Amino acid sequence: MPVPESAPPAGALDAAARLADRLRWFFLPLALCALVAVGVHTAADVVGELILRMVDAADAAFDGLAARWTLTAPLVDLIGPSQRVFFARGVALLWELVADALLALPMLGYDERADEVKRFRQLAAKAWARPTTLRVAHPFATGAVALAGSCAVGRLLEGTLHFGLRGAVGSAADALARGCALAAVLGLVAFIAWRAVVHALVRADARSDRIPLRRARAFTVGLPGALLLLPLALAALRAAPLLSFLR
Amino acid sequence: MRRARSLADLALAALCLWAAWYHTPPGALLRTALARLLGGRGATPALLSYYGAGARPLQFAEPLPPRAALSPGAALGLGAQSALERASPADRAQVLARAGLRSGSTDALGDWIGREAQRQGSREAAVLSLFCGEEAARFARDRAGGARGAATLEELARQLPPRYADRVGLAATALTLGTAYALAWPLPDSAQVTSFFGVRAHPLLGGRRFHSGIDLGVPVGTPVRAAAEGVVRRASDDRVSGRLVLLDHGSGVSTVYCHNDALLVAPGDAVAKGQVIALSGNSGLSTGPHLHYQLDLPQGPADPLLFRGARPPQFAAGGTEP
Repeated sequence: MPVPESAPPAGALDAAARLADRLRWFFLPLALCALVAVGVHTAADVVGELILRMVDAADAAFDGLAARWTLTAPLVDLIGPSQRVFFARGVALLWELVADALLALPMLGYDERADEVKRFRQLAAKAWARPTTLRVAHPFATGAVALAGSCAVGRLLEGTLHFGLRGAVGSAADALARGCALAAVLGLVAFIAWRAVVHALVRADARSDRIPLRRARAFTVGLPGALLLLPLALAALRAAPLLSFLR
Repeated sequence: MRRARSLADLALAALCLWAAWYHTPPGALLRTALARLLGGRGATPALLSYYGAGARPLQFAEPLPPRAALSPGAALGLGAQSALERASPADRAQVLARAGLRSGSTDALGDWIGREAQRQGSREAAVLSLFCGEEAARFARDRAGGARGAATLEELARQLPPRYADRVGLAATALTLGTAYALAWPLPDSAQVTSFFGVRAHPLLGGRRFHSGIDLGVPVGTPVRAAAEGVVRRASDDRVSGRLVLLDHGSGVSTVYCHNDALLVAPGDAVAKGQVIALSGNSGLSTGPHLHYQLDLPQGPADPLLFRGARPPQFAAGGTEP
């Protein structure tokens, strides 16, 4: 039977879908890693004010110390007001890279399961019943930065489409860009971000199971990482303007 | 169903990878590494330029000199004019044509920014509108959200796609210079300059060293006034700078007041232009009563006299205070 002319696009779409299905094991971990990295960067970018205050306090303490001796007195001018922002951004970069090592890179080990929702429920229930710093901090931070990452990707898409399509479709570009951005944010949260949280739960659970059953250890293991990640997670929540896509 | 979801996942994955590859420092590192591996040079921006939404002022050799003391509106006009001098002729012509301006004079630009600031709600949005266009400024302002008050240039720039990075840099330069031109003098005009900005023989530490501000000779106890409204970032005491106050005026402009006798503000305080923030003195490494006044821009310390229309008198014997 001859194939109708309208069939090839459907066939091509089907072939593309089959190819995408076969390559899920490859692109999903990359997507999780990339989304978390974008979220971590968004959070590190807005946490600058906090870092500036830390740099100011450290600079004042350093100047007070260096100014005591003639030999070290010239070091007082090492960090002037102009260098504050440079140092603060350097600290933000370092913070971001460490957070990427803790949150984004492990996403490359994501192993998709058919019963992902069930796995999420079981691990969340276990974290609730037997909380450890790892089981709470890492999934929370991952969720926060993944949400911020989704919003950042949505905003990038919106801006690119808004200004890219304006010449072609005029004032409709705004509604089109806004709709695409909202769809992208919802899609990212529904299909990618929550998988990142599942994988963070899986990793935190495996590491927590290795901790001896003592309450103090459950609190202290992973505490330095949590202290590093929690301010960033809070900054990420601040940098996730979900409602702005609806305004 | 699963295959349809795989297609959606693939599209979303592509979006994530695009964003991470082009808009994060780790992405820049990977691009640089890949370019090196392939034998190319790669044109990735500096890693720190990914912060502050890329709102970094351009390097400027020397600002345009002000004719006289400037009003804040005229100061911003001169800042915009100085920034436009850094743009290519084609970009300059496009900016002026889009704003409907025949000339890029200080007065014309200052008036235009003043009118636009009333329409857009803030001077940051107005300057962004001048350099990036009204549409881009409105888009950024709407997305940045007006509920928390006027958005900073960085908050506005975060909403724009990366193709506006160069124009945002021009806007940042205009705001920085405009803020610096609007600074008042911290002491009465009669205060004499006893040591200028630049390399000089250090009177106490010896050798030729860079003097990052200017020294103004005044008696102990003279009120020191804030050069502009801002936030106190530092109010501290050490054996070199003595009792010092550092004010952040926004747009990358800070002023520092050293060797005071008493500080009247604390870190975190918001100060108004002209408010007395300290009483001058002779504290720290100093050879006599004076105020060390320093102006800092994102590129480094700048000579405060470059931004001042009328020059203060110079101490006849030349100054030596650190």
